[in-house]
Amino acid sequence: MRTTPEQWKSWEEDGVLAVADAVGGDELERLRAAFDSRAAEAKADWLTGVAAGTHPAAFFDIPNAMEKGDIFVDLADHPSYYGLLVDFSKGQVCLQFPQFRTVVPSPLSYVGWHYDVSFSNPLHMKIQLYLDDVGEDGGPFAYVPGSHRPENHPLPQVRHQEDMPGHRTFPGSAGTAILFNSWGMHTSMVNLTLKARKSIILIYEVFTEEKFDPERYGFLADRLETAEKRRLFGLERTRRAG
Amino acid sequence: MTDSANGGESPLTAPRIDSHVHVFSRASSEFPRQTSDHLPAEREEPVEKLLGEMESNGVDQAVLVQIGGSSLQYHAYLCHCLKEHPGRFRGIGLVPTGIHSMPEHMDRLADKGIVGFRLSSMGGPVDPLDPVDVRNCTTYPIWKRAAERDYVLWLYPRAVDSHVVPFLLDAFPQVRVVFNHLMVCPGEGKLSIDDKGRPHVDVAMPPMTRYSTMGLKVGRLQENTRGLHQYENVCVHLSGQYAFSREPWPYRDLADWHACLKFVFGSTRLMWATDFPWIVEDPGYARLIPILDELLPDLSGAERADIMGGTASTFLRFPPL
Repeated sequence: MRTTPEQWKSWEEDGVLAVADAVGGDELERLRAAFDSRAAEAKADWLTGVAAGTHPAAFFDIPNAMEKGDIFVDLADHPSYYGLLVDFSKGQVCLQFPQFRTVVPSPLSYVGWHYDVSFSNPLHMKIQLYLDDVGEDGGPFAYVPGSHRPENHPLPQVRHQEDMPGHRTFPGSAGTAILFNSWGMHTSMVNLTLKARKSIILIYEVFTEEKFDPERYGFLADRLETAEKRRLFGLERTRRAG
Repeated sequence: MTDSANGGESPLTAPRIDSHVHVFSRASSEFPRQTSDHLPAEREEPVEKLLGEMESNGVDQAVLVQIGGSSLQYHAYLCHCLKEHPGRFRGIGLVPTGIHSMPEHMDRLADKGIVGFRLSSMGGPVDPLDPVDVRNCTTYPIWKRAAERDYVLWLYPRAVDSHVVPFLLDAFPQVRVVFNHLMVCPGEGKLSIDDKGRPHVDVAMPPMTRYSTMGLKVGRLQENTRGLHQYENVCVHLSGQYAFSREPWPYRDLADWHACLKFVFGSTRLMWATDFPWIVEDPGYARLIPILDELLPDLSGAERADIMGGTASTFLRFPPL
């Protein structure tokens, strides 16, 4: 796929856009099953860490998930959104880290409004893929459209997340992917349900020599069959756009 | 209630209040208490010693926090101190959890001048993925009574309880809450006594429990966050640095975390404390007076006055001097 004019407009003006049904059908079911299986394997260690104060209780990340399932690896360049990443990065997209995250219900958001990197950082993008339906009260992702532009800062200090002016929440069905510019203010809204929110967060940046690390995904070398994939996973350098 | 609603920052002449200390006598029939290797029967840290340190360092008032057992009789020395020095101290008691008469226990201690109660366990589910119904928490009757009688709750939760705390804060927003010791929630097996007889907590700072108790992504990148703590009736102690730091006084490895707390809570929700007597030998009471200058050097005079006593005076309703 390639980026539509509407998607370009959302990206440039808002810094965020949602892709409905990015993953669906059997693929979504297999993804959810793999996620649940890996999470179940890792849960005991997480609970031990929570009690010891070495792991956060507010969320649970499956450790080293990419090493445990091809279905997770295939998400990095999923055709439903990979073209957007390529276009927005001018062909220099590079995967940094994935997070296979379960956020526990709480009346307090675990992160609040924040941005991930400063404006001096190279373009930094995230895909958040919902594995379950996420309603308005289920801790949806939220973003302040336009906050990826420095001229729209600083944003006000707010006590309650819903008080952030101009913010937009992104409830969605399972399989929805939200692509956003991490320079912009975003958060996970309060989850008022009894159900944890499961999602996969894929973190990308444009290629830079400073972050070139062929060891990070070296364990995937045998299965990254194309040069494009090897560049995406940082096993090879990406040529700078002319 | 918020003191900001009552007029904002404290005046520069706010009292200096040490908002978390312990005093205890030798174990006796008059002042019974539990004993341990850490607190042997013959050890005493009497109120007169505290008053001497306060006098020497220009500290006007203090919060005495019960130590040595939660049953009523073990509070005898604390109640004695409150009675002998009216207006000088506020008292924080303990509650034996799991008994039917927790509210009555609180009321009986309140009749003797105690204004709040310290909790280290919330009694909720251990698994953060289990649903939390606060009515099933063993401390629910304590929170309910605190709401009914306007008692303060003094929290030093275990890490395993950190995810339960927001549910209780949400259920009882009217209860005044003070998180002890930099909002750290000690992990299981991480609390010990150091070679100077002080509590020591093995914790990487900023604490992982902040994701549950703070609700904001501060810590490594403070300036990337926009938000205040969601619950207005929550204060945090700037105290206990000796127990968490990996450096000697002035504990500069904790400066960033102090800045985060200042950013999220503001000076009208922060309280300075020494945690006497554990600090008498190292670093010494006097060296904790200028600790804010070391760890929060950019405070205004009014902010410093808030943290050094103005916040405690208002939030804990100390009588005027």
